[in-house]
Amino acid sequence: MSELHIQGVSRTFTSAKGPATQALLPVDFHVADNDFVTILGPSGCGKSTMLRIVAGLDQPTAGRVLLDGQPVTGPGADRGMVFQSYTLFPWLTIEQNIRFGLRERGVAESVQKERAAYFIAKVGLRGFEQHYPKQLSGGMQQRTAIARALANDPKILLMDEPFGALDNQTRVLMQELLLGIWEAERKTVMFVTHDIDEAIFMANRVAVFSARPGRIKSEIAVDLPHPRHYRVKTSPEFMELKARLTEEIRAESMAADAH
Amino acid sequence: MSRVMGAMPADPQPGAATAPAHAAPRRRLRPLEPVAPRTRWLLGAAFFVLFVAVWSVATLGGYVSPTFLASPVTMVQEGWLLFTQFGFLHDIGMTVWRVLGGFFLAALVAVPLGICMGAHKGVEAFLEPFVSFCRYLPASAFIPLLILWAGLGELQKLLVIFIGSVFQIILMVAVTVGSARKDLVEAAYTLGATPTGIVRRVLIPGAAPHIAETLRLVLGWAWTYVIVAELIGSSSGIGHMITDSQALLNTGQIIFGIIVIGIIGLVSDFLFKAVNRRLFAWSVI
Repeated sequence: MSELHIQGVSRTFTSAKGPATQALLPVDFHVADNDFVTILGPSGCGKSTMLRIVAGLDQPTAGRVLLDGQPVTGPGADRGMVFQSYTLFPWLTIEQNIRFGLRERGVAESVQKERAAYFIAKVGLRGFEQHYPKQLSGGMQQRTAIARALANDPKILLMDEPFGALDNQTRVLMQELLLGIWEAERKTVMFVTHDIDEAIFMANRVAVFSARPGRIKSEIAVDLPHPRHYRVKTSPEFMELKARLTEEIRAESMAADAH
Repeated sequence: MSRVMGAMPADPQPGAATAPAHAAPRRRLRPLEPVAPRTRWLLGAAFFVLFVAVWSVATLGGYVSPTFLASPVTMVQEGWLLFTQFGFLHDIGMTVWRVLGGFFLAALVAVPLGICMGAHKGVEAFLEPFVSFCRYLPASAFIPLLILWAGLGELQKLLVIFIGSVFQIILMVAVTVGSARKDLVEAAYTLGATPTGIVRRVLIPGAAPHIAETLRLVLGWAWTYVIVAELIGSSSGIGHMITDSQALLNTGQIIFGIIVIGIIGLVSDFLFKAVNRRLFAWSVI
């Protein structure tokens, strides 16, 4: 069981000169076990800030985050994260990258190898174990990053626009891959994106963020059946959700633009 | 001409075949345009040839007095004498030993300290101002003091190189480690790394290629310090040979000594580069 509670979390960035910036208004949010939630919002709305607070990489100005009832005080292996930028360790091979977290936590070498092999196969990178990150395409690097996070067996997987830097075709394939893994492994996932199709396609629930200062404006359940195929994107249900979210995001983007 | 004409019909597009030939020289003038490895090598060697040619004309042509500048021929002859009659190999050995010894000691102290400063901002705040100040103290100005403290022996020579290198290495290593990629550090934290793990398995490996490059650079500087140290109060070494030759107005030997330093420096640099490339293959792929 893993349950995430975000309780009254807000964040204000202060600077030595100039006024303080309120990035996040108090947010209350709940992610249930095995849930796949996407956080959708215009860029700069504070959705990444919220995810970083959950990861423990940033501290909230007020409020708290509870994972299984335990308050989050800093980063930890129980919350795996995949970043938008390519964060593989360039001096480690693909296999060593995937084993990094296990090694840091002192897991037995045989278990490290076994889990690395399992997730390398899962993300379709067999044959690339001994390559260095620079030798791989962006999509392959992000697949490795997903495998690296999953190999650590976190309670929740936090994803901060992980496919944002990829080209459109690759992004679509990555969405299918991630969804396939989620359908098989049933991990709890919190996925931040500004792409509406991406938000609907993978999620059970879409939380729409308002423009800065960010807050959760609405939550929309996505009741499309699993396993989802890419063809679901052309179904009337999908289209209807997309039209609705497009309206919501459009209003927020315009508000953000007016600032 | 006729052979070119004969080749024409075989070519499906005669115009296209001649176009790159015209374009090639123009492309070479474009900024940042790479040159072929062979051309690169030839160009590099060509300057050495040009340099020796100008030197030969100036000296052998009688434009410069041999008292002030020996000709390449004299230089080679004097060099031969140095090796066969004056035990120059021993001098070279001493100098190399001093450079490597002083440099190794400096690296041994400076690299861990630099890593510590780069990783921990408190340590940096504590040491950085002092080290920055020390960096500007000229190593050669310490020679009289060091002679007073350590005598004329090997320790004094090693200390000159040590003082000349250690502060430079500390600062450059600290900057390298301190400018580590934040996102890699964050990724490591989310994978469960401890602060010690971050330093040992993220900051150090990430900075290693740069640290190695820093060491290569500073080793080059160490060569200049050693000669200065040997010019004053020394009874062996390349620098000592140069002061001896100066007393005898033997410019041939002086130039030969300088060229030997240059060659050893070049070779050590080359070896260092090769080792770095092997050790840190990931950073140059």
